Order: sequence, then structure tokens, then C-alpha cells
Amino acid sequence: MNNTPLVQLENVSRIYQQGKVQVAAVTEFSIHLQAGEFSVLCGPSGSGKTTILNLIGALDEPSLGTVRLEGRDLAELGRSALARLRRDRIGFVFQSYNLNSVLTAFENAEFVLALQNIPSAERRKRVMDVLGEVGMAELAERRPDELSGGQQQRIAIARAIVSRPAIVLADEPTANVDSATADAILDLMERLNREQGITFLFSTHDQRVMDRARRLIHLRDGRLEHDEVRG
Amino acid sequence: MQIVSFALRNFNRSRTRTWITIGAMAFACAIMIFYASLLEGWLAAMEKNGVGMDLGEFQVHAKGFRDDPDLYKRIGDEENVLARLGENGFVAAPRLYASGLVAAGNASSGVELRGVDLAREQLVTSLDQHVWQGQWLDDQDQEGVVVGRKLARILALTVGDEVVVVAQGADGSTANELFRVRGILQSVAQGVDRSGFFMTSATFRRLMIVPHGVHAIVVKRGLAGEDLDTATTRLARLLPVYEVRNWRQLQPVLARLFNMSDISLVIMLLITYAAVGILTLNALLMSVFERIPEFGVMKALGFSPWGLFAMIVVESMLQVTVAVVLALGAGLPFALYFSRHPIDFSRFVQSSSTIAGIAFDARWYCVVTVNSVVLPILFLYLVASLAILYPALKAAMLKPLSAIYHR
Repeated sequence: MNNTPLVQLENVSRIYQQGKVQVAAVTEFSIHLQAGEFSVLCGPSGSGKTTILNLIGALDEPSLGTVRLEGRDLAELGRSALARLRRDRIGFVFQSYNLNSVLTAFENAEFVLALQNIPSAERRKRVMDVLGEVGMAELAERRPDELSGGQQQRIAIARAIVSRPAIVLADEPTANVDSATADAILDLMERLNREQGITFLFSTHDQRVMDRARRLIHLRDGRLEHDEVRG
Repeated sequence: MQIVSFALRNFNRSRTRTWITIGAMAFACAIMIFYASLLEGWLAAMEKNGVGMDLGEFQVHAKGFRDDPDLYKRIGDEENVLARLGENGFVAAPRLYASGLVAAGNASSGVELRGVDLAREQLVTSLDQHVWQGQWLDDQDQEGVVVGRKLARILALTVGDEVVVVAQGADGSTANELFRVRGILQSVAQGVDRSGFFMTSATFRRLMIVPHGVHAIVVKRGLAGEDLDTATTRLARLLPVYEVRNWRQLQPVLARLFNMSDISLVIMLLITYAAVGILTLNALLMSVFERIPEFGVMKALGFSPWGLFAMIVVESMLQVTVAVVLALGAGLPFALYFSRHPIDFSRFVQSSSTIAGIAFDARWYCVVTVNSVVLPILFLYLVASLAILYPALKAAMLKPLSAIYHR
């Protein structure tokens, strides 16, 4: 059995230059995530949650330290290799959904599979299966502007999981939806984690999300404050 | 194929801008197809006047004749030469030349006497179809001559007038004879217009006491599509004891004018398309900038930098292709119409105007050629490719995170 953590962050710091001032978004942060976890990065605004998600998702580079995904040091990968890694191993759920407005729900969910050059028939089957999983099969031909916020977030989740990634990174997934929709989305993610073994890492300060997490990683001012693993 | 599929989906997302850009490209391309066809037509008319009326495609002379035209420097075995040319796929006609003086009434003028083999000459030039007044020569009419248009004006000649020719015959005697003007040519070329004095070769031989030989053999390619230089080399090898020149060598000024015309077309293409290129660049830049967050998400989801570059290039090439189809639909019928109905500039251009010594035809026809259609299209693709390079590279180099949050 492979004991290599899915995600390894070792002494990671991320410092941004804002004009003449340097701002440390994350400072000497270390953490390991195992496959199958359902974890939450929590903390107040500006505590570095989104920055850590971006670093794990290969969207940003650390100023110091090392980020590894499935044992691979991301700093050693070029732009194209990072693009392939994001395409094949990482699913993203953005706070503001970020669906493509000219594509239908089906096409948005299909996007990553198309990039992977999956044959059309298999793509259709997998997308319809996933849209069924998130309860959006009947709205597959609608465009984002014809869907509610919750429905758009479900499509974003479908897009994130359809390629069977190693990890789904979800940035404030319940921030823009009502309570009922938030509960439904969390139910869905919990079920996908439980039944399909997909690893989820959220950033949030929503108590409902924190209540469901099996691991809470508390952040403050860009530093690890407390790592709480629940039974 | 996914790249094309993504590009197709984006094609019509900003309809007004897309169709304005396509419209501008189509308009410019259609105009350039028409202009290039008009230029081809103008060049064809010049070539017809210069080459098809007078020079012929090639001329064969006895060595030294070109540098020092002399009544005695003749091709002695012309029938043998003509037969060999015919066997090798060339069409040819012999000519005789001499200098003389022509008088009519109180006026006189130096002329170039030209003896023409009527049956063969019409195979290499179409001078016989270029008579302005009267008729072309006739073998049965030994007194009849045809003169250039300007010469007729200088001597105040009209059809039917008598003219006296004085020259020195090949035997040293004075050649002196009365002729009657049978026809006056349309404007052909400066030399022909000013001093062309045409008669049958039999009349010439009798007048100038030249029983044998010819001064020039005018040759035309029999093989369709054979390159001029290749045919010149072949001809020179076939007739090594004679001087062989093609029309570009015989009329270097005209040849340069033709080369310059190609350059002028390219310059016109560059100027016209530069304006289109700026418009296209602006539209494409706007299209890229307003989609930066979307590109960021696409990259976050795994779209490769070069995939994005290719998608943007394909998007613009799709626009160019639609523009080309529209341009062909508009420009080609326009050019084809004017290939049958000339634009008449005769109000503004004198009938005897010449360029590089060749008569300038005041009626401009379009001639639609592969070149006149393909060149504007290729240039449009080239300019659009250059215009898209910067926005596409910019999109390819975007960092996904900064692109997603770009405002």
C-alpha cells in the first residue's frame, strides 16, 4: 500500500508584493492530506485559506517551501505539465462558479473530458451520469444564465468530479447560495466522498461546512493555528 | 479537433464585433480581388499590344542585327529554320526590315519598311486585327501598304492616299515606288505608330531587291504553359548560330514595368490590409481582454497554454475564412462583370498615349486569374495571422490565478 500523502505542504510561505509593501498571505505552513479526506481550511477572511487552495491546485507558486501532489514537486513542472496535472488530477469548485457562459450545463461539465480527448460517446455517458449524481440531468441543455446559483454550483461540482480527479478543491462553495441549497450541496459532496472516495478540501468560514468536516485545519494570519481531526 | 470545436463555439459570441470585423476583411479582400484583376487586365492589354501586336514572344536574328540593323544581315536559310521551329512545337513568321523615306503631298517622314508574310504573321501576332481605318494587307494587292497611326497623322494620310517610298535597295540602286494606303493601324507601340510602314514580303523583296533571306523570325510558344525562360533556352539551343531574344530581353523597360506592377500590387495589398489589420487587431485584443477571467478558468481546468493560443488563432482564422467566402461572393462577380464590360477611360486618355513605348489601352478590362484571386486571399490570411499573434501569445502566457481575478 502506498503511504505517500496525497498532498504535502512543507514550510510553505506565499508573499505578495503590493506596490512597495510585501504581504505574507501564508507563512511557514506545513500539512499533509491523505486520499479520501473530507477536510476544511477554516479561519477568518485574510487568514490564507484561498491561497493554500491555489497553491495545492497549482494555480499559484509558493515563495518558499515545497508543495507536492501525489509525491510530485509542483515546482519541477513546467506550464504544460502543470496544465495536464490540473486537467487530470485536480477538480476545482470556485466560489463564483466560473461556468463558461456560452456553453450549456452539459458542455460545461464535459469541458475537462473534451480536453482529455475522451471519445464522444464515453464523454456523453460520463457527463450524464455525473449530472444525474448532482441532480441536474434534466437541465443539461440550459446555459448558466438560465440556472439558479445553486444549480450553477451543482454544475461546477459536476465539472470538478467528472474526470475522477485525485482531489477536489472547493473555495467557499456555499458562500453564494441559500441555506437549503448549501445543505443540498454539502449532502452531495459528502455522498461523493463516501461512495466514490473523492478527496475534498474546502476553504470556508461557514459553520455548516465546518460541522460536516472530518478534519478542520484552523488558520490565522497565514499560519496554522490548530489541526483538528474528528472521529 | 477539440480546439476547432471550442473555437466554433466562441465564433458568434460577440456578434456585432465579429461581423464588423468580418465585414471589413471581406470588403478589403473583395476590393483587392477587383483591383488585382483590373491590374492583370491592364498588364494583359499592355502585353497584347506590346507582345501580341509587334514584338512576338521571341525574335530570332542573324548575329549582330540587333546591335546594328543592316539590310544585309539576314537569316539565309529561313525555310529550314521555320521548319525546325515547327518540328519543335513553335509557331513562327519571317519579317523583313529596311529604312526609307516616305513622302505624301508636301510632307515626308523617315519610316521603317516592314515586309510581312501575311499567312504566317497572323499566327504569331494579331496585327491584322488591329486596323483602325481601311483594311489589312492583301497578297493580291501589291500596291497596298498599311501605316502606323501617328505616321498617318504626320503625313496627313487617309485610306486610299498615295505615298512615295524612297530607299536604297540591296543592290545599291535607288528603290523608288508609289504605293496606296490600304489601312491605318490602331495605336500599337511608339515605334510602329511613328514609323511603321507595312507591306507584303513579296512587295518588300521586289522594292528592296532582296530575293532571299529574312531579317527576323518572330516566334510564339506552341506549348501551352511553357515557361518563357525555359522556352528561350530551348530555342537558343535549337538555333545556336542565331541570336534568340524573348520579349523581356527585347523590351527590358516593359519587362521592368511588369515586374513593378507585381510589386505595386503587393504594396497596395499591404496598405489596404494594414488598415484591416489594425481593425482586426483591435477587435481581437478586445475579444481576448474581455475573456481573460474565462481563459483563467479554462487554464485552471487544464487547458494548455498552446491549446489556448491555437484556439484563439483558429477563432480568427474562422473569421478570415468567412470573410474570404464573402469576398469571393462579392469581388469575383464584380471582377467577372468588368472582364466583359470594360471601364472606358478614353475621355481622359489620348488615343496615342504610350507607357514604356507600348500603346496604352484606354478601355480597361478585368482579367480574373489565379493570381488576382489567390494573392489577396493569401495576404488577408497573412495579415490576420500577424494581427492575432500578440493577443494569442498574451492569452497563452496568462497565469491562471491572476487571469481568473482579472478585472
